[in-house]
Amino acid sequence: MNTDRTLPSPEERIEEESFFPHNLPRRHRSASIWRRVFQASTVVGIVALLALLYNIVNQAFGLVAVQNEKEPEALVLAANEDKMLAATNVVSSEDDNELVRRIAGNPNAVGFFGYAYGYAYGYACYEQSADTLKALAVDGVAPTADTVDSGEYPLARPLYVYTTSNIMQEKSQVADFVDYYLTYVDEEIDDVGYFPAKPEALQLAKEKWLGAVGQESHSELPDVDPKSVSGEIVMAGSSTVYPLSARIVQRFRAEGYASRITVDNIGTTAGFRRFCVDGEADIVNASRPIKPAEAQACRKIGRDPIAFRVGTDAVAVVVSQENDFATSATTGELAVAFTAAQTWSDVKPDWPATEIERFIPGADSGTLDFLAETVFDMRLQDLPKETLVSILQANVSKGLFRRFESEQPFAERSQQNVFQLVQERVVAPEVQDTWSLYDSLFQRSQIEADIIEDYPEAHLEFRSWIHGSFVTSPQSKDPEDAGVRTAVLGSLWTILITLLTAFPIGVGAAIYLEEYANRESRLNRIIQTNINNLAGVPSIIYGLLGLAIFVRALGALTSGVAFGAHDPTTANGRTILSAGMTLGLLILPLIIINAQEAIRAVPSSLRQASFGLGATKWQTIWYHVLPNAIPGILTGTILAVSRAIGETAPLIVVGASTYITVDPDGPFSKFTTLPIQIYQWTARPQDEFRSIAAAAIIVLLILLLSLNAAAVLLRNRFARRL
Amino acid sequence: MAPGAANAVTDATKQEPIDLRRRPRMTETFIQGFLFLCAVLSIFTTVGIVYELSKESLDFFTRQLWEDTNKPLAANIDAGATTFKVSTSGSTLHEGDIVRVNNEVMELAALDGQTVTVARGLQGTEVVPHEAGIDIFRSNTVSLREFFGGTKWNPQIGQFGIWPLVNSTLMVSTIAMLVALPLGLGVAIYLSEYASNRARSTLKPILEVLAGIPTVVYGYFALTFMTPLLRSILGRDVVEIYNTASAGIVIGVLIIPLVSSMSEDALSAVPRSLREASYGLGATKLETAVRVVVPAALSGITAAFIIAISRAIGETMIVAIAAGAGPNFTLNPFESAETMTGHIVRISGGDISYDSIDYNSIFAIGLMLFFMTLALNVIGQRVVHRYREAYE
Repeated sequence: MNTDRTLPSPEERIEEESFFPHNLPRRHRSASIWRRVFQASTVVGIVALLALLYNIVNQAFGLVAVQNEKEPEALVLAANEDKMLAATNVVSSEDDNELVRRIAGNPNAVGFFGYAYGYAYGYACYEQSADTLKALAVDGVAPTADTVDSGEYPLARPLYVYTTSNIMQEKSQVADFVDYYLTYVDEEIDDVGYFPAKPEALQLAKEKWLGAVGQESHSELPDVDPKSVSGEIVMAGSSTVYPLSARIVQRFRAEGYASRITVDNIGTTAGFRRFCVDGEADIVNASRPIKPAEAQACRKIGRDPIAFRVGTDAVAVVVSQENDFATSATTGELAVAFTAAQTWSDVKPDWPATEIERFIPGADSGTLDFLAETVFDMRLQDLPKETLVSILQANVSKGLFRRFESEQPFAERSQQNVFQLVQERVVAPEVQDTWSLYDSLFQRSQIEADIIEDYPEAHLEFRSWIHGSFVTSPQSKDPEDAGVRTAVLGSLWTILITLLTAFPIGVGAAIYLEEYANRESRLNRIIQTNINNLAGVPSIIYGLLGLAIFVRALGALTSGVAFGAHDPTTANGRTILSAGMTLGLLILPLIIINAQEAIRAVPSSLRQASFGLGATKWQTIWYHVLPNAIPGILTGTILAVSRAIGETAPLIVVGASTYITVDPDGPFSKFTTLPIQIYQWTARPQDEFRSIAAAAIIVLLILLLSLNAAAVLLRNRFARRL
Repeated sequence: MAPGAANAVTDATKQEPIDLRRRPRMTETFIQGFLFLCAVLSIFTTVGIVYELSKESLDFFTRQLWEDTNKPLAANIDAGATTFKVSTSGSTLHEGDIVRVNNEVMELAALDGQTVTVARGLQGTEVVPHEAGIDIFRSNTVSLREFFGGTKWNPQIGQFGIWPLVNSTLMVSTIAMLVALPLGLGVAIYLSEYASNRARSTLKPILEVLAGIPTVVYGYFALTFMTPLLRSILGRDVVEIYNTASAGIVIGVLIIPLVSSMSEDALSAVPRSLREASYGLGATKLETAVRVVVPAALSGITAAFIIAISRAIGETMIVAIAAGAGPNFTLNPFESAETMTGHIVRISGGDISYDSIDYNSIFAIGLMLFFMTLALNVIGQRVVHRYREAYE
């Protein structure tokens, strides 16, 4: 631009003319680029705000892995089994033969056992005794090979073995054994007492086998000669599949297999864990399909499990052939029949009112577990109070149980209350790990796979860390139970003190400076400059001031000793009063500056009219200036107060308590406030504390938002009235 | 007014002229006095700040703190001895140290292994014999030279160099300004020169929400969002969990609204005629904004920058949460380093005992912080004042 000062020579001017059109597009281009740059910086600001809010929400909600000391399902199951075993007229026997014998001749008897289980071992079972017993249809489905296989019959479950093509290719003995298993399972399964899988299902399994070893499907499985098979095989899993697998292994050995083969009876879930997480077993016995999370965990260690359906297990509910009324029942009716019912008519009104006699397998039987799991559709919170009390009694120490009783007799407690006790003391859920909302939504399968590996006993649940009891319960060492009640009350008390000190003084100073002060006077100019400077002093300096003056020098006043309100725990002056007054000093300049602007905005004609009518200065101010300025003053004050609510640093310096659970009850109490609580939780390394810090931030932001909304409302209301 | 209102009026009009002299009004005077006190209180606040900070800092620089050296006398010494032995050798004693045995203060003139030579009876203390086995205490005084010259801050073992704290404060502020200045100015130019009225009235309040969010929330944001972001971009071995970069960037975000709203005020105060003249000469919008409007508003923008720096220096919670604990004299923004404010918060969290070295040291740091921010604020206001005069 400097070159423009001297006039260019004519030649140069011509040059410029030719230069100009060439230059113009470039100028416009750079103008539009910079326009985008300026726009972008605005967008960056807004993106930062969104990122901040997103981050808080992201942390405040999400999946948690909860591990229970005792699984609620197990407690319910045990309670239900106890109820079945403790019912009147019940005969429990490990010997199925006895059950069959006693039901057969008794028209009032009802019982259940494995549909065909145990046949091989010489047990009686329903199939064998079909001439003396009849099976009830459950939920309208009679137990036949078809309904059992298709899963229509409610008391049936499929049986599988799982392995992967990698394992089958690496260890030919595993492929051979599975081949052998699939070839001969139908010959053995009847003996073991389960239903054979449908031919189509078995055929599908065989095709899967062929596919897994890389052979043409639709061909036949190759013949296996156990004598030529060598190498170790490890199987693990379901106790239900166990007899079947053990039977096949027996035959495999008998035909000449000489190496080691182990079958561990550890349950389906544990079997999958050993297979998918530890990568140890070659084959899993499973009485349910693999869960997606388990499959995911498997794939993580390079195992892609293949399911081979080998059969079906079912439980038959039976009555005597002499029983001429009962033909079918729903699972709900079965639940009643095996527990509370005294007579048959208790189960169904149109059945006779004769006494019901129950014959059930022993307490250790898997059949009992299976039936109880299936017919009792009950969650822990739905159990009656008496059952919950007995669960509590069975699982906590006698002393603790007596303490609960003496705190409030169980007779007077509500079901809800007892459930809470069971939940806290017996189930005792504990968060093992937490995930952000984003991960919870978009990487759920990965998370599920991870927890099978890291916390096999835990289950996932979605948790909102901010909830009703978070706001109403006090601080706690356990992030699950921690709340912000103490902190919110502390914040409110502190703000009350802040308002009481800063508002009158601030407005008074503003009135003096605007209405009385002579602007030219040196003192007043110093005051004004000083106020402006104070507004720029870092808040932590006010904290140091509060520490030196209110806490230390005026300790006797701020701890309440001088007023006789002596509390030894707060006698050092680190009280709500000190905190409130410190914040009062902090926001005083803000209140003064805002109030000054509000007063300045009142037209001077109002004052002159008032003076003209003979009013004194104070009358003018009190009756005319202040009522007109009050909306502005209040708005400014509320904005200053919201600044004070969010302040943390000065209060830490003044001496906020690090851990209190007692509600503050007056200006001489110890204190903590919401931002301090957030700071302390944020500073802790555990994820759960980060999550409750996010929840506390939401509470704080809502508090601030409502204050600001109040400011707007207040201003509008006053503005209308005047 | 016992005789009745009518009487009083006639009396007044007939007999006495109206008294127009100023009557003393006690209430009015009292109220005025009270209001004056309110206004003066702000001066007391400043005085209180300066007085308390100075008093405790003075204590910090002058008080002798005796630290046990764990070096007992090896043998009894009598009043005349100036050379004696201590039972262990070690590095806790140095030549020139002021030491104390019982109540007697001495100065270490020379030190050779376990043998020390002292000048006795200093600071008006009485020269008396001492018995073997009595510990020697070393005096810890903080000299201004050490305070401003040292590069290690660790009051517990007698290291009082303020530089690690000042250095990280300046580093955080610089990073913050690198973020806030370009963005804040960009926002201001966009809002004042480009944005339509409607866009401005939507965008401005949104940006101001940023300024209203408590700083502890920003601290949380820095620790749980910005740090992981930096670590995923630059690598976990480069960026520590606590680092000054993420604190600085987030402080920058915090002060964007401050910079943008003050700068925008300055830009919109530039008279329209200047812009129109520029357009008239064929300048594009950009050229008008950057070469005419911004230079015209430069003083206001400078003031915004200065006040923003002061705000960044005094910012506490973000650095307390995200910048790490423990003074560290480093120029690497990805290492943890405690700032002045962060140090004050960490030391004073929990019950700090009065008259301890920690208690006094935070006041000394506070005093320094106060003067740094005060100087910036005063300069900022001067600049604002000058700019105000430009177009009014």
